[in-house]
Amino acid sequence: MSHHSRSIFTRLVWGAGALSTLLLIGLWWTTHQTVQATLEGGARTQVDIDIAGLVDIYATNGREELAQRIADRVAVIPMEGNTPHYYLSDNSGARLAGDLARWPSLDPRVSESGLIPIGETSQGYARAVQLDDNLRLVVARGMADSEPLLQRIGFVFAIGGAVLVALVLLLGRLAAARLQRRIERINAAFREPTQDALSTLAEPQDGDEIDELTAHSGAALARVRNLMEAYRDTSDQLAHEIRTPLTHLDNRLVKALSEGPKGAVAQKLIEAREEIRRLVQTLESLLDIASSKARKGDKAGLKKFDLSAMVLRICELYAGSAEETGHQFSWQVEGGIHFEGEEWQLSRVLTNLLDNAFKYVPQGGHVEVALSADATGPVLTVSDDGPGVPKDERSRIFERFFRGGAEGASDQTDQVPGSGLGLALAHAIAERHGLALTIEDTPSGATFRLARP
Amino acid sequence: MKPLKILYVEDDQRSAQAVTELAAQSGDTLVWESNGSAALLRAGMEAFDVIILDRMLGDIDGLTITKRLRESGIGTPILILSALGRTSDRAEGLDAGADDYLAKPFEPEELLARLRALHRRSSGREHSAVILYGDFECHVKARTAFRQNQHLSLSPKEFELFRYFMENAGEIVTREMLLRDVWKMDFDPQTNVVDVNIGRLRRKLEEGFATPALETIWGSGYRILDGR
Repeated sequence: MSHHSRSIFTRLVWGAGALSTLLLIGLWWTTHQTVQATLEGGARTQVDIDIAGLVDIYATNGREELAQRIADRVAVIPMEGNTPHYYLSDNSGARLAGDLARWPSLDPRVSESGLIPIGETSQGYARAVQLDDNLRLVVARGMADSEPLLQRIGFVFAIGGAVLVALVLLLGRLAAARLQRRIERINAAFREPTQDALSTLAEPQDGDEIDELTAHSGAALARVRNLMEAYRDTSDQLAHEIRTPLTHLDNRLVKALSEGPKGAVAQKLIEAREEIRRLVQTLESLLDIASSKARKGDKAGLKKFDLSAMVLRICELYAGSAEETGHQFSWQVEGGIHFEGEEWQLSRVLTNLLDNAFKYVPQGGHVEVALSADATGPVLTVSDDGPGVPKDERSRIFERFFRGGAEGASDQTDQVPGSGLGLALAHAIAERHGLALTIEDTPSGATFRLARP
Repeated sequence: MKPLKILYVEDDQRSAQAVTELAAQSGDTLVWESNGSAALLRAGMEAFDVIILDRMLGDIDGLTITKRLRESGIGTPILILSALGRTSDRAEGLDAGADDYLAKPFEPEELLARLRALHRRSSGREHSAVILYGDFECHVKARTAFRQNQHLSLSPKEFELFRYFMENAGEIVTREMLLRDVWKMDFDPQTNVVDVNIGRLRRKLEEGFATPALETIWGSGYRILDGR
């Protein structure tokens, strides 16, 4: 499970945690606003009742009495609720009664109301009224008392919210872990479709969508497995049924040879044995091509190996015979290049390319092998200055049984031994390793390039 | 050559007959079993120098037999002789615990040479610091070669080839053995690359001497001579 650096389940759990935190903050804010509005509403009602009372007093008893009553009220500190504050003035703004320091920015002519600062720290709800042409009044109620309540609400939300988010994360993690196990079961079977892995896929768990996916995956994998097995069995049988009679035939030829036949007869027997060899090699190559194609993209059986050392070894092996056949053979191999693959298969690619080059390049020609590495991986080229491959044949050169009929080399190719499978096999092996074997567009000669596509 | 005691497991009678005749010609004793369970029983009771196993048998396949023999602690060298001759098949055989793998059809000499090489390896007659054979000396650690006390100037690869011949002195060494053990290639490139390399080594071993150093065994391989 650790190989998912970005598991969908981890992201889901964190997402759920973040979402519930956001929702909680939203809920707290709404509550906070509602509480504040309710408290403000209370203050507003008190202010309005107060104003109604004072207007009544003024209407009944006049200005002096009103100022007196306001002074009385300011002097009394209520046991509970909010302290009322007043400012009674004439149009000049001079305070006739009350305890507010100055006239707030409220217009009495329209009975404007709103929040005003009271003292240094707190706020209050206030309304201004015009009592007559030259008398106006502000009544305010402080709201300082709402702070502890809002703080309590905030505190409850913080603690409760933390517990809730922790629970969401925990339960989410548990559910995700369970889901992850079920998905991992499918992934494990895809990575290595062993009998055991496939049989666990067949066991239903919850009867939900994932079970259905699991069952489908299991069935598909089993089908692929069966196909591969059938393919393997068939090719094994085929090899066996052809090789065994050929072995018997070969044994007879060996026996006939051991009886000391005369020159021409012996020669024919030897040739017959060579034909048997070729037939077997053709069969092997065909099966190797089929198996490489079937295993394209399959990582099983691939191992990291020293590609540089392999290329050097093969170049050294061919150096002697190049000298013998009169070819100029050179190689440039960058050291320490490693590659994940089947070493024998990649040796086969190189030997097939070299066999091919030495076959078609006339005496005195150059053949060069180069191995380097770029950002995508190793790049292996085999180039020569021989007759090259005609443009119209380049796309077909990797087909099975296609044999080059290059002009100028045509006299030669008729006599060149070979099954016509070497390049097809090299191409299939390249694909099986996620590489591409291509023929470069060069003005002369031929350059084969093996690299990531 | 010391005769070998061979156990041969093969369900195809004609193949069995051919190998039996071959063993008789080289003076070896061959015991033939036609199925896997009988072979397992036999290998558990008697000691053999080498075991030859077919892969596709009627009851238990050769790879399973190999694994079971190795699990039960029987270390007798095993050569798998099979019609499944692709390199991937060989790799499977060697992974299962076999020591060598030969595909049918095969050169009779190739089989005999490999059986001897297997037996030699298992009886531990190698890896001395200096190998002496006739006129030749091979100093394994110093990586130097001498003939009649004269130093032979060999390239690193030629030395490896020479050493391989010296380790198998007096026996046939086949092309496939050389490819596998000296060049680490499990298949035969369809050209004469091995012969050419042997030719070059031969020239170095024989230059300035009257007698040949390497003998070509037609159709199968080479053998180093004592140089006298």
